[in-house]
This record gives sequence, C-alpha cells and structure tokens, in this order.
Amino acid sequence: MPFISPRYRDRVDRDDRTVGPGIEVTSGPGRSEVDLVLEAMDPDGVRPAEAIAARNLSLCFADKHIVSEVSVGFPRGTITALIGPTGCGKSTFLRTLNRMNDRVPGFARQGDVVLDGESIWAPSQDLLNLRRRVGMVFQRPNPFPMSIRDNVVAGVRAHRIAKGKQLDVVAEERLRQVGLWDAVKDRLGDSPFRLSGGQQQLLCLARALAVGPEVLLLDEPTSSLDPISTELVEELLRSLTPALTLILVTHNLGQARRTSQHTMFLYQGRLVEHGPTQDLFERPKDPDTLHYVTGRIG
Amino acid sequence: MSSRRRRIADWAFRVFTVAALVAVVGPVLWVAGGVVARAIPHWRWTVLTTTTNGASGGLLNAILGTLVLMAGVLAIAGTVGVLGGVYLAELAGTGRRGRPRGGVLRSATEVLAGVPSIALGLVGYLALVVQFHWGFSLLAALLVLSVMVVPYIARGTETALRQVPTAYREGAEALGMPTGYALRTVVLRSAVPGIVNSLLIALAISGGETAPLLYTAGWYTGTPKAALFHQPIGYLTYPVWTFWDYPSNQAHYLAFDAALILLVLVLLLLVAARLVVNRSQRHAEVRQR
Ligand SMILES: Nc1ncnc2c1ncn2[C@@H]1O[C@H](COP(=O)(O)OP(=O)(O)OP(=O)(O)O)[C@@H](O)[C@H]1O
Ligand SMILES: [Mg+2]
Repeated sequence: MPFISPRYRDRVDRDDRTVGPGIEVTSGPGRSEVDLVLEAMDPDGVRPAEAIAARNLSLCFADKHIVSEVSVGFPRGTITALIGPTGCGKSTFLRTLNRMNDRVPGFARQGDVVLDGESIWAPSQDLLNLRRRVGMVFQRPNPFPMSIRDNVVAGVRAHRIAKGKQLDVVAEERLRQVGLWDAVKDRLGDSPFRLSGGQQQLLCLARALAVGPEVLLLDEPTSSLDPISTELVEELLRSLTPALTLILVTHNLGQARRTSQHTMFLYQGRLVEHGPTQDLFERPKDPDTLHYVTGRIG
Repeated sequence: MSSRRRRIADWAFRVFTVAALVAVVGPVLWVAGGVVARAIPHWRWTVLTTTTNGASGGLLNAILGTLVLMAGVLAIAGTVGVLGGVYLAELAGTGRRGRPRGGVLRSATEVLAGVPSIALGLVGYLALVVQFHWGFSLLAALLVLSVMVVPYIARGTETALRQVPTAYREGAEALGMPTGYALRTVVLRSAVPGIVNSLLIALAISGGETAPLLYTAGWYTGTPKAALFHQPIGYLTYPVWTFWDYPSNQAHYLAFDAALILLVLVLLLLVAARLVVNRSQRHAEVRQR
C-alpha cells in the first residue's frame, strides 16, 4: 500500500479512484503538493474529506419540483463540473449552496447541505460568514459601480478582514492572483466598466477570492466571454485547487473535461450520474448521460 | 405599408416630437426672458446687500430666508423622504404572490402629493400657528413645506432604487455583505441620480411656493433670526406676490428682482445637482443624467 494521507485513503477507498486526472496522489514515501497544501490547511486531519455535500436535497419553487433528492459530495480541493440541459435546475442547486435562494418567494427545500460537516441552515451558522466561506461568481460579470480597487476589496471591507493601507495590499495580491495586475495597476481608481468582459469576470473572481472562501460556486462563468478569456479563466480556476473547492456549472462540455476532476450530470432535476470526469464522458453508465455528452439532448 | 407611406409616417412623427419640444421649452424661455427683460433695466446690486424697507430697499432678508427654508427642507424632508423611499423599495418586502408591500404608505404619499398647497398652508396655519401658539415661524413653514415635498422625494427614491440592477444586489449578497451595508455602499450609489433629482424638485418647489408660506412664515424685513418659534421669516416669493399690487415703481422693480433671483437660485441648484450626480456616477456602468 503506497503512502496516502488519511483523507485520501478514505476517498480512494470509497470511490476506488484517485483525486482525478491532472492531480496525482503520489505513491511511495514522498507526498504530493496536493497533500502538502491540504495538510497545511488542516494540520490535524479532522476536516471531512468533502468540503461541502448535499444530502437528499429537494428544491421547489411554488410547489414545482426543480431538484429532486440529490445526494452528492464535493471533495475538498477539487473542481466538480455540473452539467445538464437548460432548465434542469443547475443554477437553482448551486444558489442553494450558499443560501441565495432562501428569500426567493415560493422557495422550499427538503434535505440538507453540509459544509465541513455542519448544516448550512444550522442555527449556529452565521449567514454572512457562510457566504464568505462559500463564494459565488455569476454568468454575467457584475462588478460594482465603484473603482477597480474598491471592487476587489468590497467584501474584505464588509467583513472587516483588513482596513486602511492593508486594503491596497489585498487588492494587489488578488489582482496578481487572477493575472489582472499588470493590466490595471495604473488605473486602480478607474471604473471597472471600461475593462473587457473577460477582465471584468477576472475582477469578479478577485473580489470573490479576496474574502478567503473555502468553496467557490461558479455559474457559467465563461459563457459571456470569448475563447481567449475563457482559457484564461479556466487556467485560473485550475490554479485555485487544491486550496479551494470549486463547483462549476457549464454548458461547455469541453470546459468540463478540461478543468474538472468530477462531473455530475443533472437532468430534469435528478442527479443522473456522478463520477470522475473521464469516466463520465468516456464510459457513461446511464443512457441519458451518453445522449447528453454526445450531443443528443439539450 | 408602402415605403412612401412609411416615410410620411416617419416624417410626421418627427414633426410631432419637435412640436412637443417647442411646446415645452418655448413657454419656459418666454417666462424666463420676460423676467430677465423686466428686471435687468432697473437692476441695482444693493438689492443683494440691503434688507427690505416697506416696499422698497433690497431683498437680502428674503434671499437668506429662502436659503434657510431650503436648507431646512433638505434636512427634514430629505431625511424623511429618502428613508421612506428606502423603506418602500428595500425593506417593505413583498407580500403574498410577490406583490410589493407598503401599499398604504404609497397611496398616502400619492394623496399627499395631490392636496393643493394652499389647503396644506391653511391647515398648517390653524394647527401650528394658531392652535400650538407657534405664531408665524420657521418651524411651521418648514413642517408644511416638508409635508408637501416628502411624497416626491419618497417616490423618487423608491423608483431610483427599483431600477438598480439585480446583479449588484446579488453580487453583494453573495459576498456576504449585510443588507444595510450593501444598500449603503453598492445599491444607493447607483440610485444617486434619481434621488438627487427628486431632492432638486423638492427644493425648487419649496423655493417657489407662496401660498403655504403666507400662512405659516408670515413676512419679515430683517435678516433671519436663529429661532424656530414666534419669529416670522422673509422669502423671495413674498415680494413677487405682494409688491406687484403696490402703487409704486420701486415695489414693482423689487417684485421682478425677486423673480430673477429665484430663477438664478434654481439654475444654481440645477448646476449643483449635476455636479453631485456626475461625481457619484464616475464609476457607473451606464451614465445617467
Ligand atoms: N425564482 C424562481 N421562481 C420560480 N421558478 C424558478 C425560479 N428560478 C428558477 N425557476 C425554474 O426552475 C427551473 C430550473 O431553473 P435553473 O435556473 O436552475 O436552470 P438551469 O439548469 O440553471 O438552466 P440554464 O442552463 O438555462 O441556466 C426552471 O424551470 C425555472 O423556470
Ligand atoms: Mg442557470
């Protein structure tokens, strides 16, 4: 038996696979970078292997079932792609994970979502801190009507994570992380709406990353971007693991294959299939999945 | 439709829009021109520096009085109106079937906007000046003016807030911003033009009102005193309304001078409002005017 950290052993035992293509769990006495990062984040090895998980989750809008009995876990430090035809409930599912649907009229749910082993609806859960820990990036870039710098630190200010001069440091750090620093360093005080669509989306990513989330929900983050910007965003997303756990809704099957370790296929509100991305695309178990990934549904 | 008929329809539409524009702008220019033409030939700069003496002298007392009234209305009606608008748009929420709540408050503001100002003045006079023994006073005038303009400010604020894109609100929500914090830092920012416009209308109305002020502010020929009660106050519409009836040229000149100064004040307000709006909109997605 090669050396695998306890967390991974658990995952490997259960799923009978490694973390996924692109990230290898090194066998032998050495430890992979992934392991080192994950261990640094969790030195005692007490956090559950799944950063966030849905348990028997059903969602309704005004008595109309949108998502039915979905149980799925999102392994810490990986990207999971969420695919499915339009209207199948992807956004509804995703928005539920940081409780963005709670106040939508007619919304009702059954089942649970657990973050780090604790229900996100538990009374001890602070909604604002939950949203800090579970960030979200939207389909259309939505910078706020304030300067580029203020955009990056908007959440940092709201959560009082930093103040004064530290804000400039945070802004630079995050803009560098998303690869936008060189393009905007001379116009940090300018309006974000003069940036290109792709740059605006990177800015929104920087804003979401600045508050130090553990999980990032991405709802078709590249669907309004050109291929080059899309590639930049995908590259950035890959670089965010294993420090973060990403859930990526996408209509772009190529994107799902390129970026994710796991893929879940949602069809008419049901979780039809879930597994390692390669398996799901190359050896789907369900005929509906096969139809979808070969372009015959949706 | 043939292309000829389409062209004629197109042309007719243009003619109508231009005609409508002329119908709106024409009278404004005509009135403004009339005031300027009558005031300029007799203009004395001492009008700005001396107080009224009977029906002659200057208008310093009236200018300062109008400025004090505007500032007071901005403080009282501005606060109440903007907060009321925020409540209607953001906090009243939606009732069953997703309809916006706060209907009673909304209709109340509409009814208020429909009450003739002279009726409000009379009520203010009977209640505040007589019943409460406040006498002609700054506070009575401010309250009546504020009651008049709060509906405009509240509706203007509500409308402006409702037009703020959902994407901003959702973005703020997803970052974990508290609702009030998001409102102050993200949402209100893009509602500033609408709010400022409603404040502008409110100030222009309070500067230009006559009837409720005759009932509540009285008239005073000295510069305004720092007193809320038992102290009448001057204002620019008084000479316009009253001095015109006096049998002296001096009085007539003062009436036109007051009208001209009011016009200039409103213009200055417009410029100030534009500056505020431009400043608030320098990072905006779509520039509003
Ligand atoms: N607020 C709402 N109230 C009522 N029904 C809603 C609401 N939001 C979504 N729905 C319905 O839920 C279903 C799923 O919508 P959802 O947005 O989750 O789909 P999706 O998978 O994200 O689709 P797409 O790929 O087009 O974004 C749709 O039938 C939609 O009409
Ligand atoms: Mg969607």
